[in-house]
Amino acid sequence: MRASGSSRRLCYSLYCVVLLWLLPFSGYADKFAAEVKQAGVTLQGDSYVLSADIVYQLSEKAMDALQNGVPLFWDLQVKLQQRRDILWDKTLVDTAIRYRIQYHALLNMYRVRNESNGEVYNFSTLSAALDLMSAVRNFRVIEKSELAPEKQYLCAVKVRFDRDALPLPLRPIAYIDPQWYLSSDWTLWHLKK
Amino acid sequence: MAPEKIKFPVNLSVLILFGLILLSLQLMSSAMQESSQLNAMYSWLLLFNALGSVVLLILVGANIYSLIQHTKRREAGSRLATRMVSLFVVLALAPAVIVFYFSMQFLHQGIDSWFNVEIDRAMEDALELSQASLDQRMRWHLKQTQQLTEKLEDSSENMVALELENLRELSGASEMTLFSRQGRIIASSSINPSDILPSLPDEHIWLQLRQNAVYVALAPVHEEELMVRVIVTVKAREPQYLQALYPVPVRIADLADSVEFAFVRYQEMNYLRNSLKMSFSLALSLVLLMSLLAAIWVAFISVRNITAPVKELVKGTQAVASGHYDQQLPVMAQDDLGFLVESFNDMTHRIAQARDETRKAGFEVENQRAYLETILANLTAGVISFDAIYKIRTANQAAYRIFHIHVNQFIGRTLLELVQSYSELAEPLKSIQRLLEQADDIWQQRIAFLGPNGRQELLCRGTPLFSQEGFRVGAVVVFDDVTDLIQAQKNAAWGEVARRLAHEIKNPLTPIQLSAERLQHKLADKLEPTDADILQRSTRTIVQQVEAMKEMVDDFSEYAKPSKKQTVDIDLPSLVQEVLALYALKSGVKFKTDYEAGLLVINGDPVSIRQVLHNLIKNALEAIDAHGLIEISLHRVQKNNTDFIEIALYDDGPGIKDGQIEKIFEPYVTTKAKGTGLGLAIVKKIIEEHGGAIWVDTSRKVGAGFIIQLPACNYEQL
Repeated sequence: MRASGSSRRLCYSLYCVVLLWLLPFSGYADKFAAEVKQAGVTLQGDSYVLSADIVYQLSEKAMDALQNGVPLFWDLQVKLQQRRDILWDKTLVDTAIRYRIQYHALLNMYRVRNESNGEVYNFSTLSAALDLMSAVRNFRVIEKSELAPEKQYLCAVKVRFDRDALPLPLRPIAYIDPQWYLSSDWTLWHLKK
Repeated sequence: MAPEKIKFPVNLSVLILFGLILLSLQLMSSAMQESSQLNAMYSWLLLFNALGSVVLLILVGANIYSLIQHTKRREAGSRLATRMVSLFVVLALAPAVIVFYFSMQFLHQGIDSWFNVEIDRAMEDALELSQASLDQRMRWHLKQTQQLTEKLEDSSENMVALELENLRELSGASEMTLFSRQGRIIASSSINPSDILPSLPDEHIWLQLRQNAVYVALAPVHEEELMVRVIVTVKAREPQYLQALYPVPVRIADLADSVEFAFVRYQEMNYLRNSLKMSFSLALSLVLLMSLLAAIWVAFISVRNITAPVKELVKGTQAVASGHYDQQLPVMAQDDLGFLVESFNDMTHRIAQARDETRKAGFEVENQRAYLETILANLTAGVISFDAIYKIRTANQAAYRIFHIHVNQFIGRTLLELVQSYSELAEPLKSIQRLLEQADDIWQQRIAFLGPNGRQELLCRGTPLFSQEGFRVGAVVVFDDVTDLIQAQKNAAWGEVARRLAHEIKNPLTPIQLSAERLQHKLADKLEPTDADILQRSTRTIVQQVEAMKEMVDDFSEYAKPSKKQTVDIDLPSLVQEVLALYALKSGVKFKTDYEAGLLVINGDPVSIRQVLHNLIKNALEAIDAHGLIEISLHRVQKNNTDFIEIALYDDGPGIKDGQIEKIFEPYVTTKAKGTGLGLAIVKKIIEEHGGAIWVDTSRKVGAGFIIQLPACNYEQL
């Protein structure tokens, strides 16, 4: 009985190894992926600022992990590239807003922490916590003076779920299980000046 | 051979690879410690190790494939390699799997033992206790705040700010704010005068407030600090809201925080329990897999190194088996196998030596045999050897010359079988066979028979052969054709007689004749006519007889002297015609000639050959008594690869009696009343001196026939 269980575990482990190896080549359906609903960079004063609306979706496993006190991390990655004809595009801005969300059992609330500026927000519901992360307003991207008016620029936004920040035992699974595929794709648009 | 360096069984690259594997596994193991800096690299390390396993798997797979191919092709050493690799694998696999199994067991039991119902319960209770304690405090603060509102209701609008300050100090709150119905700040008081803006309730709080008229909750102001936020409705006036923030004592906050931390940690661990087990199992499996694969791979390399000399040995042995004794194998190591290889080299060297010696000896024996065979072949005596059942084993060229049967037809046949094919040799072959069967010791016998060239006489000596055990294993017969020898002896004897006769008899004949003539001459006139007549007749008789005796003696000397004096090329048809022309005038005799077309030329003394023809024709004329037919034919025949001209002479006379045929060519043998009996003897002598043969054609039933064969001159070849 124990032996068969053990051998099943061994088989499962080997299976995992093989899957892990195949992983980079497989395109999983992003059922639980975050989505950038709307994003735009506008001029505000002397700076270009980012406003974006993002929809976060938590899979059952992610929800379960969160409820059990596992902190989850998302990076809102922002890139600004200058288009060039001959050379590859020049990256002017490559920055990220890092959010951490964790459930606090004592107070029965969700705490969102913006790792980039250290601000902490507490919410009694998860949706409220996610709402905070969803709405990005007036995030300064670049000074106006840094952009040349005749050049073309490309903006890109992506929400990346940081699987490597998960507790170690979860990581191999997070790379295999589509329930942990929570990152969005890149959203690209041309900067209008 | 220079001694080679002793190599390590595992070379440096393998050692490096092993080091890498160990390092990688160690790094992965370290990464699993939460505090480690490698933690972030865990996934990469896992991937790297998995890739390493795959590479090793491919290596091992390739090795197995190649081994299978070698085994299928039945290459040297492949079966030994298979067996050794299997043994290695089993030896490595068995303990590894056992250790793996028990490690998994301990791992799972160990992780499970961290968690149990009691701790679960205690954790939850602790959390509940903290919550209850905080709840109690919140209720108390609510009640306190509600009491304060009564005081606030009485105060005028102008005094609200002052009253609020008093109330805050009274209640021990850190901050107190009065909001209008719309959420506007009417008055505010804080323990910290620098805080100008009070803490504002968010939308959720307002919502809750409007529903329940009161709101109480714990609010973490900063990350560490806990506050109790109480909002109550002030009823007397236009609905207003009083918000009071009470600090939770640091001690209680710390305790609650500690309890929460422990609870969260425990819950997280509990939640991750299965994942933890899985990741440990994964790591363990990877370790096992990599070590096993590496071990198997090294096993392949080691086995290849071990079996290399064995393979060489097998190849060497096969080479020796197929006769290549010059095989020398390289000595790779100074171990037992190296010793074996050295011994093998030594052995092949010795075998090669022995083979060379044997070959040399065989060569010498063969030379000896060939020499003996050459001697045997060139012997004038025929030699035939027989096996135990009288089948001919060997026969030399002389046997062929004597019997005129080709050597190939001798071998493997008995003499009686040869008799069936060569009936003319029946007599001597049967005699030899009889003698072989009868004799138990060396025998000697003279055998005479009529061969293709006339009468032949053989002197045979036979020796039966016995094995060491005394069994008869065959016999050897040596025989000589002594026909010529005997003939020569006879001829020499007759020549001597003739010479003596000529010398001893001819000398007194002339005085006898002269004396008789003198008597006649002197006494004829003195005697009476009758006496004179007697004298004359007597002296005439004497003279005649002396003449006859002279003639006879001349014949003898003719016979005794060599006939082949001056040799020229003779055209036989014209010679025969010349001779016949002398007899053409004889009436009653017919000559019939038959010449083959082409050159019929011999080399010889024309006088002697003419005498031969005269003698034979004279004989024939005497036989037919001047009335009959004489046939002469000339043909070219081939015998023993030599061209002969055959002169056949036939008459239709009374013929020759059977008893005389054998002795007709001997001197003083004659059937005629008149004659010396030397005619045919001289003929035979001349023919033999010309290298030819003469015999009586016994196949002819009418009259007598003589056949002469003389070697032809081969002008056609010129």
